[in-house]
Amino acid sequence: MHMLLSRVQIKNFRNFAYVDVSLSPNVIIIGENRVGKSNFIYALRLVLDSSLPDSARQLKISDIWDGHSFHNSSDPEDPEIEIHLDFTDFDDDDNLIALLTDYRLAEDHNIARLSYVFRKKEEVEGHPASEADFEFKVFGGGDETRSINSQVRRRVCLDVLHALRDAENDLGTWRNSPLRPLLEDSISQIPKEDLHYVARLINDANIQLTAFESIKKLEDNLRQQMTELGGETQDIKSKLGFTSTDPLRLFRAIRVFIDDGKRGINEASLGSANIALLTLKLAEFGWRQEKNERNFTLVAVEEPEAHLHPHLQRKIFGNLFEKNGENGRSFILTTHSPNIASITPLKAVILLKDEGENGTKAYSLAKLSFRIEDLEDLHRYLNTTRAELLFSRGVIFVEGDAEEALVPVFARNLGYDLDSLCITVCNVGGTNFKPYARLATALNLPFAIITDWDPREDGKAYGWARSIQLIFAIRIVQGRGLPKKDNIIKLREDERYLRAIAKQYGIFLNDDTLETEIANTRSLIDPLLKVLAEQNFGQKLTERLNEWSEDNSIIDSAQLMLMIGYVKKGRFADLLAKEVTELTPPEYIKLAIERVVNNG
Amino acid sequence: MADRRLFNLAIKDIEKNPEQLKAVYEKGHCTVLAGPGSGKTKTLTVAMARALLEDVKDPRGIACITYNNECAIELSSRLSKLGIESSGRVFIGTVHSFALTQVIFPYARCTMPEISKDIRVATATECREAVEKAHKIVFNVNEDPHDRWKFAEFKRRRDVDRSQRVWRDQNADLADFIEAYEKELRKKELIDFDDMPILALHIIRDNEWVRNSLRAKFPILFVDEYQDLGYSLHELVLLLCFKVGVRLFAVGDPDQSIYAFTGADPMLLESITDRPDVQKIPLRFNYRCGKSIIEASMAALGAERDYCSPDDAEDGVIDFHGIDGDLDLQAEYIFSKLLPYIQNTGVQLEKIAILYKWAKHGEEVVAKAKEFGILFVRSDTNALIKRNSKISRFIEACANWVSGGWKQADPPFRRLAFDAIALVFGQSSSDKEKLQIQSELIYFLKSTIGTSMSTHQWLSSFRQEVLNDWRKRSRTISEDWDSIDIMIKRTDPTKGDDKDLPLAHFGGRIEGTGRLNLSTLHSSKGREFDAVILFGMNYDIIPNGFERRNEAQFKESRRLFYV
Repeated sequence: MHMLLSRVQIKNFRNFAYVDVSLSPNVIIIGENRVGKSNFIYALRLVLDSSLPDSARQLKISDIWDGHSFHNSSDPEDPEIEIHLDFTDFDDDDNLIALLTDYRLAEDHNIARLSYVFRKKEEVEGHPASEADFEFKVFGGGDETRSINSQVRRRVCLDVLHALRDAENDLGTWRNSPLRPLLEDSISQIPKEDLHYVARLINDANIQLTAFESIKKLEDNLRQQMTELGGETQDIKSKLGFTSTDPLRLFRAIRVFIDDGKRGINEASLGSANIALLTLKLAEFGWRQEKNERNFTLVAVEEPEAHLHPHLQRKIFGNLFEKNGENGRSFILTTHSPNIASITPLKAVILLKDEGENGTKAYSLAKLSFRIEDLEDLHRYLNTTRAELLFSRGVIFVEGDAEEALVPVFARNLGYDLDSLCITVCNVGGTNFKPYARLATALNLPFAIITDWDPREDGKAYGWARSIQLIFAIRIVQGRGLPKKDNIIKLREDERYLRAIAKQYGIFLNDDTLETEIANTRSLIDPLLKVLAEQNFGQKLTERLNEWSEDNSIIDSAQLMLMIGYVKKGRFADLLAKEVTELTPPEYIKLAIERVVNNG
Repeated sequence: MADRRLFNLAIKDIEKNPEQLKAVYEKGHCTVLAGPGSGKTKTLTVAMARALLEDVKDPRGIACITYNNECAIELSSRLSKLGIESSGRVFIGTVHSFALTQVIFPYARCTMPEISKDIRVATATECREAVEKAHKIVFNVNEDPHDRWKFAEFKRRRDVDRSQRVWRDQNADLADFIEAYEKELRKKELIDFDDMPILALHIIRDNEWVRNSLRAKFPILFVDEYQDLGYSLHELVLLLCFKVGVRLFAVGDPDQSIYAFTGADPMLLESITDRPDVQKIPLRFNYRCGKSIIEASMAALGAERDYCSPDDAEDGVIDFHGIDGDLDLQAEYIFSKLLPYIQNTGVQLEKIAILYKWAKHGEEVVAKAKEFGILFVRSDTNALIKRNSKISRFIEACANWVSGGWKQADPPFRRLAFDAIALVFGQSSSDKEKLQIQSELIYFLKSTIGTSMSTHQWLSSFRQEVLNDWRKRSRTISEDWDSIDIMIKRTDPTKGDDKDLPLAHFGGRIEGTGRLNLSTLHSSKGREFDAVILFGMNYDIIPNGFERRNEAQFKESRRLFYV
């Protein structure tokens, strides 16, 4: 086990009224623009970033969460920004113990907490009027008298790679170049004589260069002009050359080239430059660790999707994430790219959501444990095309292709365009809704489950047991535990009670199966057959559709379902919506849609 | 951290002594048995510097436990000359301060919820009250509770591991007494000094993760004067060094064990030394004394040790002066005859010491010194500057700085500021708090440079302008702030016991006209003088009647004289 930042609490800071979120070793923060992804990272910096000066830690009044009724004198509490970072699993590493052992929590010695608070100065009476009335404190162990020494901040640190737009610039200037410490280290291992030898070679090259008549002329010219301008005493002895011949400065001219050294990095595509920069930065962090300058690095990368091709995004960050917490290094990415979201292990997801007057909230799956097969199931579902689930404002989970095709049609008929409402219809391909329901609950996504009652011979139904299991699972993720014993018995025995409770949990049941529901929805049959007939299915199916159109009573609803599943979903909904006029969707589907549309 | 260049210089110094060199480069557990004058502090400090340079990498560190604050201060200043400063990585202090700052402060709240966050160290009066209450509860008989407490106190220091059967099997009534006493203290959210190592031991023994954390932080534990440290330190060493693998570097000399009354026992060091996994390194050279003095000391000890002096050392001289009559006559003889005689041989006053067994004998000498108008500095419990009080030593160093030290940065202000911060805030303080202490200190000290204030005036204004406020802000719970008031009272020219004196004298910054050293035998341990006068070495004083009748006490007296 490697140390990880396992929990973050933020109070009253910018977008966040109160956030308390669990983290896994690598983290990907997903959220829409302006929801506060960068502010989340900044909160971590206030505690950890040793490059942040104290003047930056002294925040502004405008950094206090807007929703805080700051000037409202009826508010008994003065606003206070608090940020707490909890680290766990450091007890296997003696260096980390040495750094963090003084900051263990009284209530749990396995957790070391580092904190930042920004609040009204003790001596200010009444309500604070300006920034000058505030002060900040950085401390550990949940005890304000335990200040964090600078050694801890130097050795357990956060490095931020801002949206990778400055790759060229960063690589171009020596001072900022991540290449610098690496080169300085390598050069220091070269014997002095050898360096001087290289310097002589360069000197020779410079001499040959300036031996060319035209170059010589240019050099003389320039020198003369400089002297004329500044006078003899100001002669700075300018020379033309490839690079300085001072053996100790020589290596500053070393650059990264691409295409086997033919072209400079500034000629590379932005994407390649970004890869180069990222690689170099990571090499630099690794080097610092190795040189015992640091013991743990949190690498925050903001919006890495900028300028990276989707394929590269998946590839690069897939590779990085595989190295889970290795070498005392963890990643925190912020993104609104479904490409990156799609390769993220679910546990790494932190979802930021704007919840209006409650500020931005954070939800994570770090604490949720899934069975391996469920996890595979979820990951298979959340491939690139459907990572949108994480960005959606609501989900309707359905059993199969037919529902997936039909639900948007029904919704449209009720006056809702699911696409523009950012509501996803998620086809779980069967009846294993449980992992999905847990996922949606944990992420606080409004959701509904549309499932069949599936009656059994003995008068009970498969849908019955399924619903009870779902209710239990949802309650457990919500932290409410199982229902009371009496209620469990009632759920098992009283169908009406079960259906009512299921609805409260977003589970919507029919009386039989979807097939029969469709067959009973007369207003749907004709438009459905018409649109299906236009799909160019093959001769046999087309014939069958024709027969069914003439005589609705011979429709085999199982076959019909299969055919609906074959069509291209998006277009199908549009076409069908045109044909269908006065459609009444089955009641349970209508309720499910309305629940999600109205945010649960 | 440790400075490679300074270390190399220091190593040159001991190159000729293979035993010291071996100790410095030892990589396993070891005990260094160091007789008087054997260069033990040098060996210890160079070994610490090497450990920091070669064995222990940042952010891990080392801890060094010493017998008292005086040793800790002495060690710190020696280490500072090797480029090593006390910091989060380097702990130097007493077993009490180790217990408090490295165990109780960080971990008691995780492991002993009954120890409240606002706990404070009891004053002597509060301790006495608790003893009296506990005595009433447990015995309820008409006797002096404090007489009985002396026995309880001894048991408390000796049977530190209360999970052992001996705690209840022997003197169960004393165990009750002790437990009742501690309960009384806890009721008022108090602990006393003896509590510190005991609580720390409990925390360390009951929690593997605490042991591991201490090992992570301090992979090497140095112990100075092992023979003077009692059972609690010994248990601590057993747990940390022989259970979780902290490396032990112990320095000591069973022959110099003179603190039995605080619970020390030379057997403890011997039991560690005898372990097969501990390397035993005796230092045989005595750089301090001539041959005849070494021989005489062996006779006093009643044992033969294999000590030798360097070839170029002088023999040394021992004279006996028998005086018939009381102690006053002895003192009279010293100041009228002996002292002028020694001074005439060219030895300066500050290189001469008068030693006596108890502080009360010091009073005789002090009275006589005043009568003869001889300047003196006293280093026993009645001293003006208590050698063992961090605050007193800090104030002394400030006086030194003001009266000229600032010119050569000796002591450096950086060090004064560091000490001040540690006195007020202990181990943990914010940059802002540090800055404030620093600026208050420099403001005051700078304003008193070049003024003609006497010690009494200077102390009074230091207290009024700075120290009173620090005392209020103080977050440390064990500092002896009262010592400021005592110093001010004692230097009061109208009623003080000691007379007021120039600040330069107080700060120890005096050239040429030195001061005679007065000290008890105990406080003289490890110090060096060119000439020593032993005062009151009477048949009924050392050893006295009680000590003659008791074998262990008798041996202790021999050791005391030997020291």
